[in-house]
Amino acid sequence: MLRGAEIFLQCLRGEDVDLVFGYPGGAIMPLYDALDGSGIRHVLTRHEQGAVFAAEGHARATGKVGVAIATSGPGATNLVTGIADAKMDSVPLVCITGQVRSSLIGSDAFQETDVFGLTLSLTKWSRLVRSIEEIPAVIAEGFYWAREGRPGPVVIDIPTDFLKAKMEFAGPVKFTPKPRPSDSAAEAAFGDKLISLLQKAERPVALIGAGAKLSGAISELRSLLDELNIPTFATVHGLGAVEPEAPYYLGMVGMHGTRAANMALHENDLLLVFGARLDDRVTGDPTRFAPHSRIVHFEIDPAQLDRVRACELPIIGDLAKTIPAFHKKLPSAKLPDWNGWRAVACGEDRAELDPRGLSQPTIRFLDELFGRLTQNSVVIADVGQHQMWAAQRYRSASPRGFITSGGLGSMGFALPAAVGVQLSKPDATVLCVSGDGGFQMNIQELATVRRLNLPIKMVIVDNKYLGMVRQWQQLFYQRNYAETDLSDNPDFVEIAKAYRINAVRVQEDVMREYPVTEDTADTLERFLRSPEPELLVFDCAPEANVYPMVPAGAALSEMLFEEE
Amino acid sequence: MHAFHIHYRNTQGTLMRILTAVSRRGLEMFYVQTCADGHGQRASLLLDVNSKQIGQLCRDWYAIVDVIDVRVGTPTAEMLDSATGLPNAHPPTSASASEPNASAAMA
Repeated sequence: MLRGAEIFLQCLRGEDVDLVFGYPGGAIMPLYDALDGSGIRHVLTRHEQGAVFAAEGHARATGKVGVAIATSGPGATNLVTGIADAKMDSVPLVCITGQVRSSLIGSDAFQETDVFGLTLSLTKWSRLVRSIEEIPAVIAEGFYWAREGRPGPVVIDIPTDFLKAKMEFAGPVKFTPKPRPSDSAAEAAFGDKLISLLQKAERPVALIGAGAKLSGAISELRSLLDELNIPTFATVHGLGAVEPEAPYYLGMVGMHGTRAANMALHENDLLLVFGARLDDRVTGDPTRFAPHSRIVHFEIDPAQLDRVRACELPIIGDLAKTIPAFHKKLPSAKLPDWNGWRAVACGEDRAELDPRGLSQPTIRFLDELFGRLTQNSVVIADVGQHQMWAAQRYRSASPRGFITSGGLGSMGFALPAAVGVQLSKPDATVLCVSGDGGFQMNIQELATVRRLNLPIKMVIVDNKYLGMVRQWQQLFYQRNYAETDLSDNPDFVEIAKAYRINAVRVQEDVMREYPVTEDTADTLERFLRSPEPELLVFDCAPEANVYPMVPAGAALSEMLFEEE
Repeated sequence: MHAFHIHYRNTQGTLMRILTAVSRRGLEMFYVQTCADGHGQRASLLLDVNSKQIGQLCRDWYAIVDVIDVRVGTPTAEMLDSATGLPNAHPPTSASASEPNASAAMA
C-alpha cells in the first residue's frame, strides 16, 4: 500500500519529471512529506509566482514539461499569472495545487479557493481529483495534453486527504486520447495549391513564429527557406529559428521590429506564416495589415487561423510534417525570379535601425554584452524597453537561445525564469536582462539564486522609470508621466550584497567611448565569466526610447524613428 | 442570429470552457440548452455574431480537449421563441433608476 502522495510522485517520475519548483503550505504538505527519496528534485522559490516562472523557464529551455507546486488558496492564486503566461506562449506546464480535504470543499474552508474554476479559461486542461484511485489517470492525461499539439498549461488540483490516503499501486498508466471524427482531415494535400500561389506571387515573404520552434522542425524550416530565398522575418518568439546571418533574413517584425521587416510585411503579395498567431503587436492596425497579401498559414492549432484576416490557404498540422511535405514539392515547381524583390526588401537603404539608434548607450551596452556571449548562451529578457532592445540586438542562432514573456508580457518573469533555465543548462551562460520595475516584481528570487549558487548573470537596465509606459506617455500622452517615476528605487547593488551576491554598477557614459575602455571591457568580461551569480546595474538615461516603433493603431509602414 | 451545436464529452469543466469562449467576447447567450447526445452531451446556443466571430468561436470550441464536434445551423423556432423579449444585450445597458425593478433593487 502506498500513500496518495507517493503514488503522485511516482506518476510524475513516470512522466520523466525530475525537477519541480514550488512552495509548500497546509494542503500540499503530504506531497512535500513524500518528496525525500522520490527521485524528484524540488526547488524552493520564495514566491509561488517565482515557482511557476521558473518552471516555465525550464520548459522553454528544454522543451520538457515544467512543473510548479503550490498549496491551496493564496498559493494557488499566486500561480495564475504564470498559467496565463504559459497559455499565451504555448509552454508545456503542469501546475499541481493542494486543495482542502474533500469533505470541506465548497464550505469556504481556510485557504479554500476554487482554483479549478478560477483557471478554466487559462488552462488547456484541468482536473479536480475526486479520489485516490484517479491519481494515475489524471496525471497521465494532464501531461499528455500539456505536451500534445500546441503545448499549454494544465492544472491538477488535489484534495489533501487523497494525498494521505493509501491504496495498492500497480504503476503509472498511459493515456490514449479518443479520436475525433474530423482529425483525420487535418493534413490534407495542400502542396499543389501552395505552389500555384507561389508561381503567381511577385513579392512573397515568410513570417516565422514560435510554432516553428515548438515543432522541432528547425532544420527542415531552414532548408526550405534557403531554397525559397525570399525575405524572411520572425516574431519575438520566432527569433533564433532562422540563422541570423542568412542573406534573406530581416530580423524581428512588429511594433518594435526592424524597418526592413515591417516594410516587407506591409508590401508583400504572398505571406507564408509558419506557426505564428499574428497578434496585434505583429500586425499593427489589423484593417491595414499586409493590404496586398494572400495568406498561407502553417499552423497546428486551428483556433489561431483567421484571427486578423481570412487566410487563403490554411495548412493545419504539425509543422514537422507539413514543412517537409511542402519542401518535397519544390524541386519539380518552376518558381518566378524574385531577385528584384529580394534586392528591394533586403537592401541597405532599409537598414535595420536608424543609425542614431545604434549609438544609444543602452544599445551599445547590450551589443557589448551580447558580443561576448558564446553560442551556448541563453538570454532571458523581462518585459519593457530592455526586452525590445534585447530582442532587436541579440542574434542567437539557437532556437531556445532567447526567452521572454511575449504574449502576456509579464513583468517579473525574467529572474525566476532564469533560475529554471540555469538549472536545466548548468553549462550555459544564462544572461537575465531586466528593467528596474520588473526586477522588483520578483526580486525575492535572489535568495533562490544564492541558495543554489546559480551563476546567473543578472542585468538591470535602470532608467528609474517604468520605461515602456513612460515612452508611451511621452509620445501619446503629452509627457504626462503619471505614476511611472521610480526615482526612489533602492540601491540594487546594496540589495544584491544583502543576498551575498556580487554586484557592480556601470554608468551609461562609459558607452559613449569608441571603442569601450579596457576597464569597461574588463568589467564586462569579469561579469560574464564569473562562476558565481553576478548582478550588473546599468544606469541608463531616463528618457531613452525604443525605436523603431509602430504606434498602436498604426499600420506597420508607419514606424516612428525618433521623438516628435 | 446563429445556432451552434457543440457535441462534447461531459468531463469536468468542458461545458464551462464552451460557455467561457462566448462570455470572454462579451456576447449575450440568448438560448442555452444541454442534453444527452449519443455517448456525449450536446450544448445548443443561440448567439448574435458576425461571420468572423463564428469562425473564431468554432475554432476555439474545437480546441477544447473534450469537444467532439461543432456545427453551425439555423435557429429553431424554440430557440427564437426563447430569445424573444430579451433586451438587446450588446453592449449592455443600465436600467434607469426610475424603473420600479431598479428602485426595488436599490432599496
